Amino acid sequence: MGHEELFEQLKQAIIAQDEDAVLAGVDAALAAGVEPKTIIDQGLLPGLNVIGEQFECEDIFLPELMQAALAFQAAMAVLEPKIKESGNAGPKKGKIVLGTVKGDLHSIGKNILKLLFETSGFEVWDLGIDVDLFKFVDKAKEVDADIIAMSALLTTTLVGQRDVIEALKGQGTRERYKVIIGGGATTQGWADSIGADGWAGSAYEAINLATRLVS
Amino acid sequence: MIDLIEVFERAEIGPLTSETDYYMKRFVPKLTELIARHAIKWDKQTLVNSDDDLTDRVFQAAVDLLAEAGAYCPETNRVMEFTREEILLACAECPREATFGEGRERKVMRGRRPDTTDDRPWVHVGGGIYTTDEQVFVDTVEKMASFSIVDSVSVPSILHLRGKDARVRSPQEVLSACKTVRLAREGIRRSGRAGLPIINGISAASQPASMFAASYPDFGLRPSDGFLIDFLSELVVGYEALQKVAFYNSLSANIGSTSTPLFGGYAGGAEGVAVVATCYMIMGNLIFRGSYHYNAPLHSKLHLSSTRPLIWAIAMSNAAIGRNMGYPMVNLPYLGGGSGTKQYHYEMACYMLAVVTSGGNVFSGHPAMAVQSDSLVPDDHKFHAEMGLAAAKLTRAEAEPLAQKLYPLFGDKLKDPDKGLTFQEVYDARTKRIVNDDYLKVIDDVRTELGELGLEVPVS
Repeated sequence: MGHEELFEQLKQAIIAQDEDAVLAGVDAALAAGVEPKTIIDQGLLPGLNVIGEQFECEDIFLPELMQAALAFQAAMAVLEPKIKESGNAGPKKGKIVLGTVKGDLHSIGKNILKLLFETSGFEVWDLGIDVDLFKFVDKAKEVDADIIAMSALLTTTLVGQRDVIEALKGQGTRERYKVIIGGGATTQGWADSIGADGWAGSAYEAINLATRLVS
Repeated sequence: MIDLIEVFERAEIGPLTSETDYYMKRFVPKLTELIARHAIKWDKQTLVNSDDDLTDRVFQAAVDLLAEAGAYCPETNRVMEFTREEILLACAECPREATFGEGRERKVMRGRRPDTTDDRPWVHVGGGIYTTDEQVFVDTVEKMASFSIVDSVSVPSILHLRGKDARVRSPQEVLSACKTVRLAREGIRRSGRAGLPIINGISAASQPASMFAASYPDFGLRPSDGFLIDFLSELVVGYEALQKVAFYNSLSANIGSTSTPLFGGYAGGAEGVAVVATCYMIMGNLIFRGSYHYNAPLHSKLHLSSTRPLIWAIAMSNAAIGRNMGYPMVNLPYLGGGSGTKQYHYEMACYMLAVVTSGGNVFSGHPAMAVQSDSLVPDDHKFHAEMGLAAAKLTRAEAEPLAQKLYPLFGDKLKDPDKGLTFQEVYDARTKRIVNDDYLKVIDDVRTELGELGLEVPVS
């Protein structure tokens, strides 16, 4: 089987959200002598791009997106150690600390974003929901994050986003990170008023925004 | 039905699992399998389903979902499991009616079957939209309560104190909740209908302490009002919700079990939302001991409920419960168009045609852009209630062609909806009379158009 055919099989396996087929495709490509990074770039990522388009068009939904992401992550668990061994590990796009702010227990939008960030090449630390503001600050410092991304669904929890920015300023570290916000209760106006570096109205806007901010 | 303490204990004895595993190993695969097992398929066109066999399969899938996937308690990281027999017994023993209000306003909300054309459904108006000013808040409530066709109201939110927003779980949130309730009852008293029930006096998003504090009788709420308790993420039952369940059941108050299944979220598309929305109503009775259900499915990106697949799914869930359970239901319509716009009224008419003929009670529309303060315009809600009462005279089969004619009038505008009006742009601040002639003309025009389409909406 030629390399192009192997890449197409991998792409289709991702689109089908078939983890077993993805792992079999990865094994076949490695056995054929394809570089791990090439497998990712030409097999897995094109499949994820299609998944992303289908999600945007509402042809598929969060469960399918998650299944595809899990299949991708399973493949990466095989490929990443080989990339490291070879010394050809390219840098991630950026490091993101992500969470839903204090008092807010909503997770679905944040979970979608986590998947999309990861499959777009970012390294993500998901702090979960109802996150204490200093957890954002401390984790960003610990992992030397590029971006702090905060979600808030409720109007009554919006202030949590402002407080994180204020805490960063208080510690003199505001300029070290790009801070982006989103969630049902947020607007561009709110982002401007608290001095965030960006606001996204959807998960895909957030990916584009983050990519722009780290490039 | 298993008792309430036993329900709480299920959160402590079920299998341990992480939330991610609950979704990826239980909920999602089970929902996918059940949709296939019960051959649930939306044709991507229908708005008002009248296939009863399909409707009953949705109900069976909802029972199976709870029986086979269970609910999830994030505080204990355990799956709350219930047997099929326990679920079906709870369905058989669920309340078929709920009594609200006091004095001459004391009335009964009933569970309705689809295609019932000879009853008068419960009429509920209002919505939790922010108000900038206490006077606007009281005026809005007074105006809504003054409409004689109204049986209950949802009141706006007034979250600020001394000009500042109250943050969640703060002491200010407690004070805001108490203030909201006091002002709401005051607005209702001013209408001359002091006994009229409020069925969302306190936001479901409030912490338990705020809800309990605001329920203190001196502030004006009574067990005969309604108290909303919501599920968090799909099939997630949090401790805060269970604390509210414990408290309001101890008061024997009317609990409105509340759910917002997300189209595009874990429930997936139309079929999944129909099954999950139905499952929530079953859970609302079994786990929350609700008197009625407050059904509010939502599009995960557009934050509204008037897309074609959602209208189908919402109507379907009403029909599934109406045919198989009889639990009283209201449905919160999140509409794209702003208050006072033609788009808003078209969306509402389409939604009413689907939902009221399928067994739902009447609930007026909520502009999706709830963050636009003061956008609750009471006469919109009166018009929408009139639409609901007109729809109640039709069967689903009669409603479907009308809904199909209406949908093209707004479907393409949902991503960029028409902006609307505020209370102050419609009413005179002193007399509370409508002073915006254009606003009235839109209502008159839409009423005429609906009549020409085949939905006569008499003025109440």
